[in-house]
Amino acid sequence: MPSILRVQSLSKSFGGLKAVQDFSLDLAEKDLQGLIGPNGAGKTTVFNLLTGVYKPDTGTITLDKQNITGLRPSKIAAAGLSRTFQNIRLFGELSVLDNVRLGCHVRSGGTMAGAIAHSMFNRAEEQAILARARELLGVFNLNPLEDDQARNLCYGDQRRLEIVRALATEPKVLLLDEPAAGMNPQEKKELAAAIRGLRDRFNLTILLIEHDMGLVMEICEKITVLDYGETIAVGTPKEIQTNPKVIEAYLGEAEPPEGSKAA
Amino acid sequence: MTPLRERSKLSRPRVAPTLARSLLPVAGIIVFAVLLQAALKPWLETVSGGDFYAKVLLDIGINVTLAVSLTIVNGFTGQFSIGHAAFMAVGGYTAAGIVYYGSMFAFGSAEVVGGSLSTMGDNHAGPLFRSGDLIFCISLIVGGIVAAICGFLVGLPSLRLKGDYLAIVTLGFGEIVRVLIQQSRDVSYDLEEMKQAPLVGLAQLFTQKHDDWQAPVWARLGGPLGFSGLPFYTSLFWAFLVAGITLLVAIRLKRSTFGRAFLSIREDEVASEAMGVNTTSYKVWAFVISAFFAGVAGALFAHETGIQLSAQELGFQKSFDIIIMVVLGGMGSISGAAIAAAAITILPELLRDPTKLVGWQPQIIALTILAAIVAGAFRLGGRRATPLWATALAGLSLVAITWLGYGAVKVAAATGHPLDIRLGNYRMIIFALSLILMMILRPQGLLGVREIWDKSFWNKRRPAPAAASPPPQTPAPEGTVSINKKFEPDIDPGHTGIPPSTDSD
Repeated sequence: MPSILRVQSLSKSFGGLKAVQDFSLDLAEKDLQGLIGPNGAGKTTVFNLLTGVYKPDTGTITLDKQNITGLRPSKIAAAGLSRTFQNIRLFGELSVLDNVRLGCHVRSGGTMAGAIAHSMFNRAEEQAILARARELLGVFNLNPLEDDQARNLCYGDQRRLEIVRALATEPKVLLLDEPAAGMNPQEKKELAAAIRGLRDRFNLTILLIEHDMGLVMEICEKITVLDYGETIAVGTPKEIQTNPKVIEAYLGEAEPPEGSKAA
Repeated sequence: MTPLRERSKLSRPRVAPTLARSLLPVAGIIVFAVLLQAALKPWLETVSGGDFYAKVLLDIGINVTLAVSLTIVNGFTGQFSIGHAAFMAVGGYTAAGIVYYGSMFAFGSAEVVGGSLSTMGDNHAGPLFRSGDLIFCISLIVGGIVAAICGFLVGLPSLRLKGDYLAIVTLGFGEIVRVLIQQSRDVSYDLEEMKQAPLVGLAQLFTQKHDDWQAPVWARLGGPLGFSGLPFYTSLFWAFLVAGITLLVAIRLKRSTFGRAFLSIREDEVASEAMGVNTTSYKVWAFVISAFFAGVAGALFAHETGIQLSAQELGFQKSFDIIIMVVLGGMGSISGAAIAAAAITILPELLRDPTKLVGWQPQIIALTILAAIVAGAFRLGGRRATPLWATALAGLSLVAITWLGYGAVKVAAATGHPLDIRLGNYRMIIFALSLILMMILRPQGLLGVREIWDKSFWNKRRPAPAAASPPPQTPAPEGTVSINKKFEPDIDPGHTGIPPSTDSD
């Protein structure tokens, strides 16, 4: 499988804090990988580096043979890397439909003058955007809510809408930051199935951060574990579950046996 | 799923309806503006106090343009600009220079050489357009373009600055414009002397002595005294033509993919950028478009009857007036800004001393409108739903109190104990109080971000559709222990040795 997203020795420091050190990742087409780690391990920082919110100190990011290191986020989105946010960042006052239509913006080709003049092309494109947005909303059955303001949606629907909005940018690689946070077991189950379905339907490559181990172990083919900005393990879910370093990172070092202190 | 590019190629909108949608509104605006000038204005001249109402109407046209153009920056992209009057000043003075000196060179004097569509005078006969109108029309466009260039320059710092900081930059820009204009030389009234004036560079202007008459033509903008002797070209036709076009452009932008890009910047700049919106370029575009229309409005203002164009008039007081219109109408709502601009122009005028007006009682009308607005705010008033009857009661009681007060004054006058209440003296207090009331009742403005023609505006209190409620929570499956509502989904393949963590990093 050809590699679609290749990250090589990415590092980022904030002052003295080394948030991410020497992070490497290789995503092949249609991969579904996970990125886990305890709180503060630097998972979201990795996402922010990949999407251009932060500029990496060292390292390169290659998306589909194109070097996207240090580009501004909108350029990276145009190159085909889209994301959702851990703390939901929808356009709250806009309608659900408009949130998705905004996602289509990056693929639209009209000019502002055309929009003001109501040109034929502009009309054709607006019709196409509307049709596409409605179709995308159908992925999570959000169509009945399309006129509601995004901020009025319930939490789970907001998370789903974020995924739909990210899909509207026609990404090659989709980064999901805790997509299951705040969902109940039933919703999580549906989400797991949906993420797999999305990958097949849209030919997506997906990288997700998730704290719900059940979900991660269930759907990810390969998992990278971060701790204090360093990659401590890479492997299949089975390997990760038995990796002593991972267990140590999550649970701490095993207590020394009784009496060893006195000795 | 088909990518957008291919899909738009497949989408073939029918030609006739698309052309109609594109051109009919423009035709409608022109017809409306012509009707105002050719039908309403002659009628107003036959009514007592008609000139006054025509002037108020003219102000409404200009203020709607200003408020709607400011909405593009403050409402759409959420950048807080408080220097809008400066763009007006730039456009106004540019246009004034072009029209005044252009007329001097072309006609030998700065008289109005306009057709019946372009004056507030009473020449309804004669041609619709004359050569002076051409100069005026060019000045409107050039004034707009020069203001747009300034908008670009002010837009640049907005790349780095947000909120209060950007506001201070725009305020500073406004002051710079004001001071520069005040430093300009006196207007030249002498054609011969003007022809001899050299066209020197900017540096030479500042190195010359201040009382030197030999200043270039473009630096003779009247200084602190204002630009006097300007011909009055602005008419109901021009004012409402510009207002209509501004509204049309703003509405079409808002409904397009670019409008959504603007609004997304206001809602969440980080998410907007992550979704592929080049926030930098759109913020600058917003400033440019907004400044263009402010410049055109300034050009109209400069050539309005009864206005002495001066830098003082276009200081930050004027900027705040425009901001009040935008805030009152609702940040981001075009129709809201237009309605608020009209209301704010009418009300202080109607509350003026009625002895200056003949005939009916404008103050009563004004108070009735105010009552209606306050009642409307009750009705729309966000968080708690006010039933219709309560709204109606509130509105009616306000109107009733107004009329009772009016009656009391009348009765007192009839019984020989006149109450000396001059409502006109308190007009700014009444006006300010109603603004305060408005902000308490409905801080998001009359219409919020929505438009008066939005469906969701009218039926916002409909019950949430069934699908909006979250799906019922299924009980945890057999054998799964759930503690503290921290669910273990049944897709858990087994005990992993890794505790679920719900916190964020």
